[in-house]
Amino acid sequence: MAKSDDGIRILQGLLVFGNVIIGMCGIALTAECIFFVSDPHGLYPLLEATENDDIYAAAWIGIFVGFALFGLSILGIIGVIKANRTLLVVYIILMLITYAFEMASCITAATQRDFLTPNLFLKQMLERYQKSEPDNNNDKWMTEGVTKTWDKLMLQNHCCGVQGPSDWQDYTSAFRVKHNDADYPWPHNCCVMDAQGSPVNLDGCKLGVSGYYNSKGCYGAISGPMNTHAWGVAWFGFAILCWTFCVLLGTMFYWSRIEY
Amino acid sequence: HPHSRPRHSRAHTMVPLLLLLLATAHGLDELGYKPQLASSALGGLNTTSTFVLEQPRCVFTDYPNADIWLVVAIPEAVANFSNSVEPGTPERAFQGFPTSAGAYMTLNTTLLNYPCPKDPGEITVLRVGSETSCATDASRPTCNGPLPGPGPYQVKFLALEGSEPVAETEWSDRIALRTASQPSSILVKGSGHSTGMIALTSILAILFAILLASLVAMVIFWGSDSCGGSSTFSKPEAVSVRRYNTHHVYDQPAARL
Repeated sequence: MAKSDDGIRILQGLLVFGNVIIGMCGIALTAECIFFVSDPHGLYPLLEATENDDIYAAAWIGIFVGFALFGLSILGIIGVIKANRTLLVVYIILMLITYAFEMASCITAATQRDFLTPNLFLKQMLERYQKSEPDNNNDKWMTEGVTKTWDKLMLQNHCCGVQGPSDWQDYTSAFRVKHNDADYPWPHNCCVMDAQGSPVNLDGCKLGVSGYYNSKGCYGAISGPMNTHAWGVAWFGFAILCWTFCVLLGTMFYWSRIEY
Repeated sequence: HPHSRPRHSRAHTMVPLLLLLLATAHGLDELGYKPQLASSALGGLNTTSTFVLEQPRCVFTDYPNADIWLVVAIPEAVANFSNSVEPGTPERAFQGFPTSAGAYMTLNTTLLNYPCPKDPGEITVLRVGSETSCATDASRPTCNGPLPGPGPYQVKFLALEGSEPVAETEWSDRIALRTASQPSSILVKGSGHSTGMIALTSILAILFAILLASLVAMVIFWGSDSCGGSSTFSKPEAVSVRRYNTHHVYDQPAARL
């Protein structure tokens, strides 16, 4: 008796420890997802214009799942210490529901990351940047978002186009419809700007003299934060779920061992 | 006597003199310089309507008083190009290029703007096609307007003193401009699932399935265990000790998990 008593005590201790970890991870997940949803790099308009911003939905789910995990871990600790079967059943069922939601969030984040390729952003930039005749209000909203985001991107990251300034030459675009090629081989935001926000040397920029125009592409500046976002939600969530799986199995075993 | 010797010797000197007179009357110096595109380090070397040439430095040094013009032509007009057609005429107007004028002349300047020798740190280029304001202005036939199509084009430099051509360079190689494709031709790859995503999905699905199976087993176990069953853990209360003694009678080792 004493031996199995000890065994159950150890199991109790492990379960409490497991639930503490779940609680802390839940808080961490909430914090991480709030950070992503706040969009510190200002890239959300680009996603919005792809009409597929499920990565943000995944982060929103992550916020609520994190809170749920924290609350449920406290319930779990109480249930384990009190060895109360009802509490533990409630805990297990609610945990399974939370598990399902978090699973959805992880898979969505991982799938959506694969969707965001350079060509996607290139096509969007060419079709929307400085588009002069939007079709409807929704189109106008997305066009303004894309234009402002690209202007800010090119200015702050000293880059031009998705793969480089040649994007503006290799393809026709809404920008090209509005501005002729001789005056604007690429947008003026691709030029090196002075403190007042005007090009240092406009002729040098038009000629493509290095030092007067941004010759590198912006894809790195876009994909970096998005990768961090997607993998942060997907893989951290995956790690939490693996740990939760073990704790839940242990709880179910423990539940079967305590008396009613 | 008409065929006396002095006359013969005069005839001998007459021919070279005539040739010399003919040469100076023609006056055209064929310089062995071929116009080239500027260095490829320039990002805007070749766009859809402009291109960038090297300036003809140290080429026209013998003609300080001449106007140096740039001639841009379609390859079909190169063969029968006439140097004596003056710039600014409808036959050489930019606005008629390439339909009614096979070539146009623009970017005229004097030798002062092409000093020799070239400063090694300087970028000495000519951007052909940079003037957009006069592209449709018929009163500006020597406009350096944007080129109407992807080409190809050939160029040469021509030095004129007044309206007399005095020197010319060779015709350049054919210069082709960029063509732009439609953005609708960009293939946005459908769903290329990465291995990471597939691994993540499958592992999570398996774990969830195991949990559900355990939950079902638990429910079944609960159902068969409702008023009996074994318990190996007792709450630390005086009451439970008594209940434990009661269950001891019905103890079935097989029922223990």
